[in-house]
Amino acid sequence: MSSNINRSSSEPISPPPCLHLTEFRSRNGSHPFRALQDCLRVKPGRASIRRDPHEVPRCSDCGESATSRLYACITCATVSCHAPSGGLYHAAAHATAMSAGHEIAVDVDRAELFCCACRDQIYDRDFDAAVVLAQTSASTLGGGPSTIPSPRPENLRKRRRVDYRPWSPDQHERFLMGSGSSPLDSDNSSSDLPRGLRGLNNLGNTCFMNSVLQALLHTPPLRNYFLSDKHNRYFCQKNGNAGNAEKRTANDRDGGNGNRNSRVCLACDLDAMFSAVFSGDRKPYSPAKFLYSWWQHAANLSGYEQQDAHEFFISMLDGICEKVERDRRKPHSQGSGDCCIAHRVFSGILRSDVMCLACGFTSTTYDPCVDISLDLEPNQGGSSKIATTTSKNSCAGESDCMKTGQTCGTSTLRGCLEQFTRAEKLGSDQKFFCQQCQVRQESLKQMSIRKLPLVSCFHIKRFEHSSTRKMSRKVDRYLQFPLSLDMSPYLSSSILRSRFGNRIFPFDDEPDATSELASEFELFAVVTHSGKLDAGHYVTYLRLSNQWYKCDDAWITQVDENIVRAAQGYMMFYVQKMLHYKATERQGAS
Amino acid sequence: MKPKTSVNRPPTPDVLENPPEREPTLQELLNIKLIESGEKERLMELLRERLVECGWKDDMKALCRAFVKKQGRNNVTVDELVHVITPKGRASIPDSVKAELLQRIRTFLMSAAV
Ligand SMILES: [Zn+2]
Ligand SMILES: [Zn+2]
Ligand SMILES: [Zn+2]
Ligand SMILES: [Zn+2]
Ligand SMILES: [Zn+2]
Ligand SMILES: [Zn+2]
Repeated sequence: MSSNINRSSSEPISPPPCLHLTEFRSRNGSHPFRALQDCLRVKPGRASIRRDPHEVPRCSDCGESATSRLYACITCATVSCHAPSGGLYHAAAHATAMSAGHEIAVDVDRAELFCCACRDQIYDRDFDAAVVLAQTSASTLGGGPSTIPSPRPENLRKRRRVDYRPWSPDQHERFLMGSGSSPLDSDNSSSDLPRGLRGLNNLGNTCFMNSVLQALLHTPPLRNYFLSDKHNRYFCQKNGNAGNAEKRTANDRDGGNGNRNSRVCLACDLDAMFSAVFSGDRKPYSPAKFLYSWWQHAANLSGYEQQDAHEFFISMLDGICEKVERDRRKPHSQGSGDCCIAHRVFSGILRSDVMCLACGFTSTTYDPCVDISLDLEPNQGGSSKIATTTSKNSCAGESDCMKTGQTCGTSTLRGCLEQFTRAEKLGSDQKFFCQQCQVRQESLKQMSIRKLPLVSCFHIKRFEHSSTRKMSRKVDRYLQFPLSLDMSPYLSSSILRSRFGNRIFPFDDEPDATSELASEFELFAVVTHSGKLDAGHYVTYLRLSNQWYKCDDAWITQVDENIVRAAQGYMMFYVQKMLHYKATERQGAS
Repeated sequence: MKPKTSVNRPPTPDVLENPPEREPTLQELLNIKLIESGEKERLMELLRERLVECGWKDDMKALCRAFVKKQGRNNVTVDELVHVITPKGRASIPDSVKAELLQRIRTFLMSAAV
């Protein structure tokens, strides 16, 4: 059942076959389902079993064709009905009436296997592989690069598992630590606040930056990286400058003015900021050096003048990566996840399937992403439909409304994610070129998440820019977001399962790079925007030791959870639950 | 599908043996019309979509999960699940969804002039 999907074991998921299936297989040699192959009918996204395309299957016993499940016996092709609640059991009757070997049947409308003796769904790897292959790319004739067991992104292959070993320093290490460091001042100013909470001065309309920095400063894996001295600014500058010397001469030769630029390292500035913020000093800090470096980085970007927290977030991750990459001179493609700390923390992989509606050929692509941008208002088509059904259907109780996405008119983050991963028909204006049909065709596009990042950032598209009307507007709609979020429904494995039915996938030998555990996330920061499009203000809410704090530029205050829930979320930061460890609690107590 | 159209029928002893002859009821007639025209598939698609939107599918999933948990993962067959869940499922389909589908079928009836 569906809870099998995300098992953390690397074993392929296949329930043991029942006695009847085992016998059937042993009697029928190496291609037990060959006869079925030609009856497999694939409409985009759905598989069924028909002897000829226009057959209306009906029970050979009672003529039933509408109200129950219909099964075709694999051995003799007899179609029988099966309705356990209605008392009709012609499929089971067929299995017992015939000699042994007529137990295995196939659901004609789902192309899934069933054992009529066990009265249970059964799974067969070969059968499922044949169906999925037929469904995904109606054939491999296209020969294109994107037949189904698509080449996996390189970084999905490496999966390192490191056992956790508790560590406490021995005498020698204790001595090294004592001599190499100085203890932090005991935090006696306003000691009820967790360490690391420090206001950031507004340097002139820089709340877009401050709000994101506050979230990053409390992103657990990022914080741990910098606080454990993994990017030492003194070291980096010394070494980096040596490296940059070459760079500089190269630039000079081009007549470029890369001089200053090459000394800029956003990671160094971040290192400095982490030191300052966690020093225990509570006076608001001025991230002027950082801002200056970012300007230099962003000056190369076009259209950066729009000071949007989300765009800042993206360009700053870029900035960290660019520098680190240049230093190490690694040829890694940016964003692949192994290039730098920014991408190691935020990089996930999206999977996009575009299926030709004419022939069923599917093109699959994988793209790294550092965040997921979500539409607040569902697209025109979807939204009106949803709106009408919900208005007609008065909600039957509070609990119902909380559970599902869009009911009762309140947008929820889960609803947005559902929308994001829903199959979407690409209209005639954006037809895609089908490699198999060799023409542009209407298509069905579906997004899913192949690999979850350690930290998931969701960006809510509150700012709409219409190029046709040359105007922008802000969507002020309220969005409900949960403190704990299970991402497993949006993973590629779940999405594929709902598209292809209950099967063992031939490319399933790679269960999601994320185990069941890794799909559970905890909210730790919310960047909010209030006010108008151009004259708004960004504020960040941080969740530390299960207590909420409002970071409004220089001011930090403890706030009630209800205030956060009522706020207008613009960016939500979730961290994998297993990284959201209790350390924050202990830290808060210190 | 592969453009290979040679129809390899599976071993079929008596597929052609028709079910006992009798006048098809109006309901059966309608059902056949619906299937042949492809309208049934469209209706099914619509229904699936609606049941997801209104949360019905999630509710059923939760019920199934709870049942499987109660019985133990290896002690449940699909039949038992269908048997237990079907009545609850039928009872909890929102009226609006039923109404919409009924309207669609009516419209089809008119246009098909069955
Ligand atoms: Zn069996
Ligand atoms: Zn049979
Ligand atoms: Zn029957
Ligand atoms: Zn550096
Ligand atoms: Zn990077
Ligand atoms: Zn095509």
